[in-house]
Amino acid sequence: MMTTAALTLSAVLFAIGVFGVLTRRNAISLLVSVEIVMNAATINLVAFSRIHEPEAMTGQVFALLGIGIAACEAAVGLALILAVYRRFGSTDVDTIDLLRG
Amino acid sequence: MDTQEVLFVAFGGVAVLGALYAVATRSLLRAIVALGAFLTAIAGEFYLLAADFIAVVQIFVYVGGIVVLMLFALMLSASGKRHPLAAVDRPALGAVLAYAVGAGLLWATWSTELPAAGPDPADALGSLGRALLGAQLWPFELIGLILLASVIAALSIVRGERQ
Amino acid sequence: MSLPWTFALGLLLGAVAFTMVGALTAVLVLAERKVSARIQMRVGPMHTGPHGMLQTIADMVKLVMKEDVRPARADAVAFRLGPLLVAVPAILSLAVVPFGAPLVMRDLNVGVLYFLAVPGVTVVGLLLAGWASYDNYSFLGGLRSSAQFISYEIPRSLAVVTVVMLAGSLSTVDVVEAQGRVPYVLLLPLSFFIYAITSLAEVNRVPFDIPEAESELVAGYHTEYSGFRWALFFLAEYAGLFAASAFGAVLFLGGGSGPLLPPVVWLLLKTGALVFVSMWIRFTLPRFRADQLMRLAWRVFLPLALVNLVVAALVMRAVA
Repeated sequence: MMTTAALTLSAVLFAIGVFGVLTRRNAISLLVSVEIVMNAATINLVAFSRIHEPEAMTGQVFALLGIGIAACEAAVGLALILAVYRRFGSTDVDTIDLLRG
Repeated sequence: MDTQEVLFVAFGGVAVLGALYAVATRSLLRAIVALGAFLTAIAGEFYLLAADFIAVVQIFVYVGGIVVLMLFALMLSASGKRHPLAAVDRPALGAVLAYAVGAGLLWATWSTELPAAGPDPADALGSLGRALLGAQLWPFELIGLILLASVIAALSIVRGERQ
Repeated sequence: MSLPWTFALGLLLGAVAFTMVGALTAVLVLAERKVSARIQMRVGPMHTGPHGMLQTIADMVKLVMKEDVRPARADAVAFRLGPLLVAVPAILSLAVVPFGAPLVMRDLNVGVLYFLAVPGVTVVGLLLAGWASYDNYSFLGGLRSSAQFISYEIPRSLAVVTVVMLAGSLSTVDVVEAQGRVPYVLLLPLSFFIYAITSLAEVNRVPFDIPEAESELVAGYHTEYSGFRWALFFLAEYAGLFAASAFGAVLFLGGGSGPLLPPVVWLLLKTGALVFVSMWIRFTLPRFRADQLMRLAWRVFLPLALVNLVVAALVMRAVA
């Protein structure tokens, strides 16, 4: 029961995060939305950790490592945003198009 | 409905409201604060899912670290604006795609027979420690390296401009 | 117990906790003024009540009755949220302190980590308060204060890790029991030293109070706050001081254990001793400059804490 509730919550939050990633133009808000997506996935991991072999705690280990990776990603991402801001004078992702990709 | 389930729904509600506000609001500062509320609610959910260590680490790293990082970045890139604004572009397309993804995930969740949750381990913290240093030793050491690499990367990216 | 009653009880306990912390702050403020007075060869407040005992109550009444001023261009939400985010985690961190072995609000399995993690939320409040006040001095004070806090968080956590290694558990009650007759300050003196100094820095006490230095930044991040909102910052500082001292007593001084007197009294005595020492330090030492402070954290305490951790681990391995 709790597992299904957790998975439902995770799906809803994932959808909200995806909406944010697709629609936001400011680089920092993009990061906020990405964090929402990652947290939704982490809830999934923790919920499943209780189902298959709770003793091994694989899901929780994964969740811990995921939180660590998210911290790395946020740090490097924000450093990049600051560097881009200094170079282009704006944090709007649509204006960073020198590579014309 | 017992206490656990009510709390689960309550935390879930706060999380969803926080996330909605964070993706929709025009003020960046409020988006980050809403993210903070969202992350705290998720920590509560973790606690209810018998992952108390993960819950506390979430507060430590996410709320005490990442939210602070974002606030610093906001303040250093606001260029004098009191309320840095962030627009929402093409909301209709985003909403449709997000709805499709969410609906797909929900259908997958509700149409599968999930096995019942096993009994929570007696010494959860001990099991976690043994797993980290036993079966999952490689990922554990690697993440240490990744953290070191990202600290060095972030420092050099930010310092590089000054020289 | 049925659901609505559980929640009502929870709310009641919350209100009780907040009131108790308020009373605690009142006592600590008075103690500080008396201690500072004696160190400075004077007598301190003597007028209100017998020997000035009611001074803080008078101060609190005055603060509550003050007009609630907000700078017109300050962001309303952030301005209001700042003090709350600084005060509430300081009070919440008291939830895992065992006032005598069974008297703990919640014996979390991860109590020690909880105590280290929850004050981290204070940084968000400091940044919001500094930014929202729309004032150069507040902003600089907020940034300095946050930088100071996160810098000293690391050596502090590393020092606490050595205690956890020795006790074998993250639960505060277990740490007290594991100490038995030998308090950890004797086994891990360097850890205690690191913990004590970094805790002073975390709570923004002199000699680490550069963010509040009157001669430097007017009043740092709480320049624009008056009345009750300022009182919240004040409350946070003293609640934090009490919590850090209580936690130090639990981790290093065997908090609660001792002959004759009940455990609650012993813990309060040990906590009181640490609080007194911190007040003593406050009125004796000059304050650190901002860059000296940061250099101290990153170039002295962090390496020291790391070396301490490795040496402690090696010694424990060798002895075991």
